[in-house]
Amino acid sequence: MADQDTIELVKTIEVDKYKYGFETDIESDYAPKGLNEDIVRFISDKKGEPQWMLDWRLEAYRSWLHMENPTWAKVSFPKIDYQDLYYYAAPKSMAAPKSLDEIDPKLLETYAKLGIPLKEQEILAGVRKQGEKSMLDDDGNEVITGRVAIDAVFDSVSVVTTFKDELKKADVIFCSISEALREHPDLVKQYLGSVVPQGDNFYAGLNSAVFSDGSFVYVPPGVRCPMELSTYFRMNAKNTGQFERTLIIADKGAYVSYLEGCTAPTREESQLHAAVVELIAHEDAEIKYSTVQNWYPGDAEGKGGVYNFVTKRGDCRGARSKISWTQVETGSAITWKYPSVILRGDSSRGEFYSIAISNGKQQVDSGTKMIHLGKNSSSRIVSKGIAAGRSDNTYRGLVSAHRKATYARNFTQCDSLLIGDQCGAHTVPYIESKTSTAQFEHEATTSKISDDQMFYCMSRGLSQEEAVALIVNGFVRDVLQQLPMEFMAETQKLIGISLEGSVG
Amino acid sequence: MLEIQNLHVKLEDEPREILKGLSLTVKPGEVHAIMGPNGSGKSTLSYVLSGRAGYEVTDGSVSFKGENLLEMDPNMRAAKGVFLAFQYPIEIPGVATMQFLKVALNAQRKARGEKELSIPDFMRFVKERAAKLNISQEMLKRPVNVGFSGGEKKRAEILQMAVLEPSLCILDETDSGLDIDALKVVADGVNALRSPDRAMIVITHYQRLLDYIVPDFVHVLSAGKIVKSGGKELAHELEANGYAEFVEKVA
Amino acid sequence: MNIALIKTPAEEAFGISLPHRRMEEWRWTDLRARIDRPYPAHQNTVVAKIDVDRLIASSPFAKIKTHRIVFVNGSWDQAHSNFTGLTFEMGVPTSSAIDDPLIHLNGAIEPAGLTLRFESNMDVLVEIMHITTKGAARSMALRNCIEVADGASATIIETYLGEGDYVLSSVMEFEIGLGARLDRVKVEHESASATHLSHVVTSLAKDAKLNEFTLTSGGALNRQNGTYTFVGENADAKIAGAYLLNNKQHADTRLVVDHAVPHCTSRETFKCVMDDHARGIFQGKVIVRKHAQKTDGKQSSHALLLSEFAEFDAKPELEIYADDVVCGHGATAGDINLDHLFYLRSRGIPEAEAKSLLIAAFVGEAFDNVVHDGLRDALVNYAANWLQVRKNV
Repeated sequence: MADQDTIELVKTIEVDKYKYGFETDIESDYAPKGLNEDIVRFISDKKGEPQWMLDWRLEAYRSWLHMENPTWAKVSFPKIDYQDLYYYAAPKSMAAPKSLDEIDPKLLETYAKLGIPLKEQEILAGVRKQGEKSMLDDDGNEVITGRVAIDAVFDSVSVVTTFKDELKKADVIFCSISEALREHPDLVKQYLGSVVPQGDNFYAGLNSAVFSDGSFVYVPPGVRCPMELSTYFRMNAKNTGQFERTLIIADKGAYVSYLEGCTAPTREESQLHAAVVELIAHEDAEIKYSTVQNWYPGDAEGKGGVYNFVTKRGDCRGARSKISWTQVETGSAITWKYPSVILRGDSSRGEFYSIAISNGKQQVDSGTKMIHLGKNSSSRIVSKGIAAGRSDNTYRGLVSAHRKATYARNFTQCDSLLIGDQCGAHTVPYIESKTSTAQFEHEATTSKISDDQMFYCMSRGLSQEEAVALIVNGFVRDVLQQLPMEFMAETQKLIGISLEGSVG
Repeated sequence: MLEIQNLHVKLEDEPREILKGLSLTVKPGEVHAIMGPNGSGKSTLSYVLSGRAGYEVTDGSVSFKGENLLEMDPNMRAAKGVFLAFQYPIEIPGVATMQFLKVALNAQRKARGEKELSIPDFMRFVKERAAKLNISQEMLKRPVNVGFSGGEKKRAEILQMAVLEPSLCILDETDSGLDIDALKVVADGVNALRSPDRAMIVITHYQRLLDYIVPDFVHVLSAGKIVKSGGKELAHELEANGYAEFVEKVA
Repeated sequence: MNIALIKTPAEEAFGISLPHRRMEEWRWTDLRARIDRPYPAHQNTVVAKIDVDRLIASSPFAKIKTHRIVFVNGSWDQAHSNFTGLTFEMGVPTSSAIDDPLIHLNGAIEPAGLTLRFESNMDVLVEIMHITTKGAARSMALRNCIEVADGASATIIETYLGEGDYVLSSVMEFEIGLGARLDRVKVEHESASATHLSHVVTSLAKDAKLNEFTLTSGGALNRQNGTYTFVGENADAKIAGAYLLNNKQHADTRLVVDHAVPHCTSRETFKCVMDDHARGIFQGKVIVRKHAQKTDGKQSSHALLLSEFAEFDAKPELEIYADDVVCGHGATAGDINLDHLFYLRSRGIPEAEAKSLLIAAFVGEAFDNVVHDGLRDALVNYAANWLQVRKNV
């Protein structure tokens, strides 16, 4: 199969079959290029923020000036000139008051093209499913997808949030963080920076100074959020960094499931994306956070693509609280991302399920931290890394148990799959146990797709690429199952697309 | 349907020749049994016909429905109607058997320019065939061959055959590792697929399987060549006398 | 940021800078902070033969007949050494410079040492021993090179014993030739207040075999580095170790197994037992270079924490650039399995004894790497004594 002819054939296939690379031609408002205190003031002013918020940003900016960018990750890229970026870009049409009917049709069209319907009636009517193939779940039953409320963020601003009224009936707050600052300033003030402080790290510091928009969720005590919440991030403007900030709070006994998706146009220059996500779960609360990250990965030669430098952290603040991260990382030229959980509450639980696929010249350095502070806290890590092309794919993780975290438990499974001999797969776990009653188990394997499996699939009629996609989908199944049903089918397809051109 | 002429095959990495001038003609509706001692080249024949990598054809030809089979990728051969029931079916973790059947069937239909089956039609189609092979719904949900017993693996292979409806079925030692009850189930499944436009090549070491899948022709393969051909009675002869006669002949 | 700019008294005395926790490989062992006073080199210590004899007798291998090459306080002790039939050359081997802080430190102390060459199969056990007798706080260094010629085989034992407060630096180089075999057993049983710093550099030629075992039980502070490089195909390295630590002992092992060529096999098995306030660390890195196809590399590190104040840290790392490989690692940390304990007690075994049995079974798996029966039995005895002392406290 892998004879020279096939290799040559595959080489002619373009690696970058990125389907979301189109650009929306829309007039934007920019902040002046570069970064200084005035830019921070400009952004805060644009958003009509209270004084305390501006002070908070300035404090972050001043501490950022003294920070250095981290160099420990296994990624390399040219030095970023932070004065050569725009820190704020918003479609001009957004200045008008927004209701769905008044939104610039170009924006609606953009989201429709991305497969994200923003009109509630369309979602209800199931427009989204038209022309889409049905899918089977693992039991062979047809999957009926449910409703999802969406906050659509375009460059630096939130375009619209759907299903607001219905969520309001359930007392769930779901809006852009700019709106939350206006409507619920006390909640924002109480929680913002309480999990990821301004000075946490270089990129989080930068984000704290210049973050533009993002989503805010508050689920009050005892409320189970009636639908999936989702934010869709779209980077469009050129030379513009995207710095969104997401804050999700599940109060006592609340439950929420949240999903973010991201895409960006195909560009020759690299784009910076430095987001911060903070999750807070109080007593008996549960937050399930899923990401399907599909930023533009750059072309086969590593030109362009998004630098995805993201700080995501959850705080299991109350007893028996639970935070679960699920991520599917297929995009971005460089990924630097470690969604973590601080297991502060007794009997709290943290989970991290990850699929990271790298192809072309992508570089992924991703993993998690599970910091056990509470008694009987438990965590589970399942990481599936797939390296193809000339990419590098690193799992980096920390599991630690504080002395007081008696009877803490962790189970970690890290599997890597290599496709081709030009890529690298690396595993860098850190395990720190300071209490004898903690039980930590860590396992890692690295292997390749066996020739036998390939032949078996092909002898049943699958093409080489279909066979790779199928086997990889099997390899990542444990993680896929953690995704909300609505996104499983799309993710499976995305995995296939990401690996196109990887065989040979 | 299948025309093998003077086929010479060696391993890519080794100079040793395994098939040394094998010729065989199979017509639609016929069931050919290929019997032979260990190491005679039986499995090699099945792999070369289905297109596994690692073998080099140094001479001869194989035409299938008038086309050169050897030029095709394994998946093209499958789409054209070649099916190999593996002696040792491969495990594919994480991929449910049902999902696998759907992907395989649709890939073949697509390659042939046919429309994909609708979900309900597909489900009905599979369930019906699974029931005949004593394959439970639960088994269809399990990942392909993972944790299957020997008998389950063989039944799953026959189910794939029943679902994919190939025109040439190659059964490689399908009887190995089966007890008599499982053998009957598998044989019934195979017999149900016998039809005037479908041919079968049944590769086996023992005559036992041929009591249940009665062949039209029996060939003895020894040292890479067919050394004797005959009717089904040849199998009984072999059972009585063993392969010694043929092994010595070549030696 | 650069804390290393200000020299500590120890750094002044050594004339070099010491590794600190800002360095990734030293994140759990801050040598710069731990060596908090100067340890001058080449102090003339008065040596009484009776002290040396007593220390030699305290070796776990005292009763085993070996060819001993003895160093006392950083100098060769001819009287206690036996070179019958050995090919050797006294004097520190001049080998290629390796950029590693422990090797720099070794050089700064000016080591004693020799080169030992095994030309054919040697069925004697050769034991390199370092003895430190009581005296002023000081530093000593050894640097030895062991060459096992093509087709030859050898068993090397290293024993480190001592009394008092000191820093001992040991650098060992092993070259295992074509089809050669080396069995290596090291026992680190330094004095309770000593600092033991070792660096081992091993290369394996085609078809070479290494069987290695290190017992770490003495010393207040231990750091042991090892690099193992496959330079020829079809070589096989089995590297095992056990920690038996108590009080405030600190032991950090960092191994790098470098699969630079195809078709080699490596196995790392570490069993770490920590009691009281002891802290054990295991850092293992397996590198599979591009083109090193068919590599089979596995690593396991398991920790048993016997006290609520004991600690264990691990960093089992894989860095893989070839696709046709089977690599993996497993790491666990925890206390004694209560089900196992209950099972033994339900059979009438008292708790303390049951625990000892389970701990002995836990470390025993690492001892299996010791090929020589006598040496293995001696190590099992050592562990039994350690457990007996523990039980009696």
